[in-house]
Amino acid sequence: MSEEFSFLKELGTDRSSLIKGLQLVQQKEGYVSDEAIEAVAAYFGMAPAEVEGVLTFYAQFKRIKPGRFQISVCDGTACHIKGSPQIQQWLEAELGIKDGETDAEGRFSIQVVACLGCCSLAPVMSVNGKVYGNLDRKKLVRVLNEYRKM
Amino acid sequence: MSEIHFKIDGVDRVAQPGDTILKAAEAAGIKIPTLCYNKKISRTTSCFVCVVKDKKTGKFLPSCSACPSEGQDIDASSDEVKEMRRTALGLLLSEHTGDCEAPCTMACPAHASVEEYVRAGKQGDFLKALKIIKQRIPLPMSIGRVCPRFCERDCRRNIDSKPVSINDFKRLAADLHYESYMEELPPLNGKKAAIVGAGPAGFSAAYYLRLEGVQADIYEKMPEAGGMLRYGIPEFRLPKDTLRKELAHFEKMDVTIQYGKELGKDISIADLSKQYDGVILAVGSWSPSSMRVEGEEYAEQGIRWLENIAAHNWKDLPNPGKTLVVGGGNTAMDCARTAIRLGGEVAIVYRRTRKEMPAQAIEVDEAVEEGAKLELLTAPVAVKKLEDGKLALTCCKMQLGEPDASGRRKPEPVPGSEFDMEADTIIAAIGQRTICPAEATATKRGDIAVNAEDLKVEGYENVFAAGDCVNGPATVVEAVAAGRKAALSAVDFFAGRKHVEPPVFNVSRGHWSSLSTDDLVYLHEVSKADRVEPEFIPMELRKTTFTELFPTIPAEKIMKEGERCIECSCTSKSECKLKKHSECLGVKPDMFKGERSCGKADTRHPAIIQDPRKCLRCGICVKICGEVVNNHLLAAMQRGFATRIGTAFGKGLPLACKDCGKCIEECPVGALDWKIKN
Amino acid sequence: MAQIKRIKVGMASCGLAAGAQAVYDELKKIAGDIPVVGVGCIGHCYCEPIVEVETDSEPVFYSRVQGTAETAQKILSLSEDGRFEVPALRKKNELVFVTKLAGRIVPCDIEEYKANGGFSALKKCTAMKPADVIEELKKSGLRGRGGAGFPTGMKWSFLAAKQNPEKVMICNADEGDPGAFMDRSMMESVPYQVLEGMLIGAYATGATKIFIYCRAEYPMAIEHLTIAIAEIKKAGYDQLPGREKPLDIVIKEGAGAFVCGEETAMIASLEGKRGQPRFRPPFPTDSGWNGLPTSINNVETFANIAPVLNYGAENYAKIGTPKSTGTKIFALAGDLKNPGLAEVPMGVTLAEIVYEIGGAEPGTVKAVQTGGPSGGCIPADKFDVKVDYDSLKELGAIMGSGGLIVIGNDRCMVETARYFLSFTHKESCGKCTFCRVGTKRMYETLQRITEGNGTEEDIAFLEDIGPKIRMGALCGLGQTAPNPALSTLRYFRNEYEAHVKNKVCPSLACSALVDLKLDPANCIKCGLCRKTCPVGAIDENFVIDNAKCIKCNSCKELCPKKTIQRVPRGEGFNSNNQ
Repeated sequence: MSEEFSFLKELGTDRSSLIKGLQLVQQKEGYVSDEAIEAVAAYFGMAPAEVEGVLTFYAQFKRIKPGRFQISVCDGTACHIKGSPQIQQWLEAELGIKDGETDAEGRFSIQVVACLGCCSLAPVMSVNGKVYGNLDRKKLVRVLNEYRKM
Repeated sequence: MSEIHFKIDGVDRVAQPGDTILKAAEAAGIKIPTLCYNKKISRTTSCFVCVVKDKKTGKFLPSCSACPSEGQDIDASSDEVKEMRRTALGLLLSEHTGDCEAPCTMACPAHASVEEYVRAGKQGDFLKALKIIKQRIPLPMSIGRVCPRFCERDCRRNIDSKPVSINDFKRLAADLHYESYMEELPPLNGKKAAIVGAGPAGFSAAYYLRLEGVQADIYEKMPEAGGMLRYGIPEFRLPKDTLRKELAHFEKMDVTIQYGKELGKDISIADLSKQYDGVILAVGSWSPSSMRVEGEEYAEQGIRWLENIAAHNWKDLPNPGKTLVVGGGNTAMDCARTAIRLGGEVAIVYRRTRKEMPAQAIEVDEAVEEGAKLELLTAPVAVKKLEDGKLALTCCKMQLGEPDASGRRKPEPVPGSEFDMEADTIIAAIGQRTICPAEATATKRGDIAVNAEDLKVEGYENVFAAGDCVNGPATVVEAVAAGRKAALSAVDFFAGRKHVEPPVFNVSRGHWSSLSTDDLVYLHEVSKADRVEPEFIPMELRKTTFTELFPTIPAEKIMKEGERCIECSCTSKSECKLKKHSECLGVKPDMFKGERSCGKADTRHPAIIQDPRKCLRCGICVKICGEVVNNHLLAAMQRGFATRIGTAFGKGLPLACKDCGKCIEECPVGALDWKIKN
Repeated sequence: MAQIKRIKVGMASCGLAAGAQAVYDELKKIAGDIPVVGVGCIGHCYCEPIVEVETDSEPVFYSRVQGTAETAQKILSLSEDGRFEVPALRKKNELVFVTKLAGRIVPCDIEEYKANGGFSALKKCTAMKPADVIEELKKSGLRGRGGAGFPTGMKWSFLAAKQNPEKVMICNADEGDPGAFMDRSMMESVPYQVLEGMLIGAYATGATKIFIYCRAEYPMAIEHLTIAIAEIKKAGYDQLPGREKPLDIVIKEGAGAFVCGEETAMIASLEGKRGQPRFRPPFPTDSGWNGLPTSINNVETFANIAPVLNYGAENYAKIGTPKSTGTKIFALAGDLKNPGLAEVPMGVTLAEIVYEIGGAEPGTVKAVQTGGPSGGCIPADKFDVKVDYDSLKELGAIMGSGGLIVIGNDRCMVETARYFLSFTHKESCGKCTFCRVGTKRMYETLQRITEGNGTEEDIAFLEDIGPKIRMGALCGLGQTAPNPALSTLRYFRNEYEAHVKNKVCPSLACSALVDLKLDPANCIKCGLCRKTCPVGAIDENFVIDNAKCIKCNSCKELCPKKTIQRVPRGEGFNSNNQ
């Protein structure tokens, strides 16, 4: 196995650790590349197609390198009722990218997620895991501007 | 563990532990449809076409996966269960895209296997082509010459070029092999049928009766056989020698023809229906329609005029002089072109524009090429006989108004626009009607009233009718299709069976006008060459003689033309389980509508095609490759509606797969298949 | 003044999202010797950040605390300003039983848990025979809190009956219903209590391996559980009496698939496969994870075990209703004043939950959705229903995991159904026809209706296909997916009809059926709306052209005079219609 993926060795080779393995890859690289799939498949003694099949089943895994700031917009029920489609629309207009896309500079990427579990603060989004609640247009633009400066 | 006692459809059954309901039902001779069950692999429980109902719990169970339990009462056949199966099939069909049959085959009124005979022609096997054609078209020499080519109108090559010249395959195959080819006939079974009318419908009926072992006697009022082919269609479109050769074949099939026998005069339905096991009326549509104008009696009636000329074998006929042909249909064109050949100077008078003419565009083009003038938006008002013996047609100019019931814009007279046109001959060719025999009931339109399902003539047990006399004037290919239907219906009647039209189930990618070349699937590269065109005889001959318009296109050219065919139909149409079960349960492809499966067919492998738009996501292929072959080259990717069966990184199946193909053998549809068609 | 002993800042996900970190930092700066600790969530999410000051007498709570030095100072001086009391109406209805320690103790501190009675139930149980523990649980009447409400004691007895040397117990912490967050809160706030339930379960059933299948979106829950497991191992609680080896406890992170909440899908996922359900039988107790006998319980169920056994099964069974005993934690969200968690005895009415605990104004609420995307709506005129497993089912809804979304009068029920179907059809595993294609077709139909292109046949289609999907689909996801559409059709058919017949969205929610209109009377011509409009739909005379407007509401949000309103389509200006 190439050096790059040697961290997989902390897992047993039992297939039940496959998803964990892919999660480790994504944690390290931000996404799961073709090479990573080959490496993971080889490690668990599986065919690449099988690994790809498992990976593409789960929404968490990304096959395209995400931006520096990953925005997750919650579209859980509470957020939806409280206007998350609007938040998505504003975000897409502000950043010029859609759900699942990364901007040209590799700065922002947007993904719409099921529920961040912060329903009492709906509508919410998170940037690199940091949650912003009770969003309105003003607050949204303020948050984006903070990250634009970084 | 001991046996399990339970019920299927109220009957006690015994199952072994571990048996599924499906297996137990099968053992009991109860057929439960399924798509995703495959005994070579672990269960997939995907399609849910195999559902049954547990009567006690009211729950629906996938019988491929559910095992019976002691005392269970399973409903495997009720309407409720079938409705659930239909729903599952309907849902699967709503995401399934492909073409069961090629659009040409679907367009053919006789439902001839067009793609198949074109392919045989492409391969140079014109005898095979003829055999395929004759399964549906027993008069390929005639139809190969006069068919309006419904098939070509729907040919997908219309998207990027011109349609494949399909009818010329028929003509060539017939010219090469019709006379020498004799179908294998079953022994006569003793049943006998009388057919009234020796036209295309009558001969077609006789043909398919004979293939079922029934001998037919045809009664014809004219001195020669062929009906409209003999007396309506002029020599230059269908030489009568050719027709005679074609019809001679029927005598080899034990068909007898008695001439000069007119229904209602020499013979009667009542007598025939007693003398024979069955009677098929195919008397055609021979009564000219009236122009309903004053002085009509001075005009010739198109079909009668042609009939008279035919009776004279297009010889020693007077020049009609300045001729006006009223009408825009094929008969009008035939009259005009015949008049030209007799030396006449011809104008065609039609009340709408050229676009609305019911005649085939090519017939109009050819008539104009030959010198016919078109007087469009012109309607006859009266015919007058002038003092010098000449005729005058009073016409008025028309303009197009709102669309009428036929969808064509309705012509309305322009007030005060009346004018006269002088002529030596005026021919009214505005259509024909059926003369319904006195012994049969007529429809409102005057045709013979029949039961649409089995073509039985109203009021009779063993009398059927087919062709123009039922449908009104139509094409030869439609008459042939109707004759076949009447024959099969009669055969079912003889056997004491109810005649049921086999369902025509067809999934289609859509009409070519709504598609682009990217929407199509190419099993092989398609020739970019232009459509083959016939070589017409010189114009001088066309204008002055009744020589056939062009000779049959030679084999080399037709074989090349075959390479232009996309071969649209599904590779799996004869084995497709989705089609089979849907037909069986009467599910229509458009039961539910919505977004269809996306993705492009992967044709990169030289021997294998993968078409995600046909895929049912049952996962049989994945498990065959994984569990049976132990290769794991295929996997289900994504989830939900986007689920698709894919290969690693979308790279496709490796070349070596051509030596295994086990997954292909098990695919219930044509989503994974060999590229070869038979 | 009372003596301050300790300051507790609510730092569960909800608290942090509301700014608890700054509050903590400020307090830490000036607290000196007074310990400042982060705790979990007490459920009053609507007034986060919350600070509790432990004193030598009664504790003092502060709500909506700002992360400033000034506020920190106020707290240290036990200012009267900003104090928080549990609202009287809430107090009247709630019964804090399972959540007693949540937000009151330091989540990962094993000693503090022990000091508050932690592991006493485990101790009590391990002194009993495993079968007696299960018997006790059966007596309590506790039903699974994950949704279906299967009796927990019975479930455990099935696993206990299996003779395999290896058995598996799974904690379902995949809390996938959008709108439900009680499991997250319990794992973050009282991880030891959840784990104690699992230890008791393993003891009672003979399970040798425990998986906690937790969604990856809950990093804090995973962190707290990880620490707690390590502490438990250190303390030796994982060494159950009569066992050769300590219990194997593994946390597995889900990877984003709602369907993995279904038990056979969860098992597949834990085996490293696509999370696709399979037909049952065989049930997991017969053949589960890697073929081993397996039992799956939800986080809230496990959190209940220790309190139930401590309190005594018979006493517990007296709480709630005869068929649904005990308490239930509800996650309130949507159009109400006090979103958050509330634990109530089974059998309180929806009205009490929505109006009294949730603080929703009667008359402003149209319905609630229970059970998330698998559940159904209950209209306001049925709010007198006593909440338990069976009565909700009768109304066409389900208890589910306890998510309760309050739907205000200005929400469109067709749009709500469309939203839920958009969720479920995307979350369908894609295996069975009824779910994969059926839910997609329902979603498309609802989409068409909300876009103003629906027909009466579309309504008929929904009513025809819905019950068939319910009966035909392989797993719970598919079987319940039609519920939101069918229940809204049942109670709000008029809204559907308005959309298809009159092309009107009565709630002015469906953008395709709405115009935006600016009332010139109050307009001060500040130009903010024109500046913000992304498509230049507002002209220099402040007229909104609905031919261009994309109904993004940006202008409506920004207008300082609230001059811009949504009106039925056709009532605003549209240059195409002139």
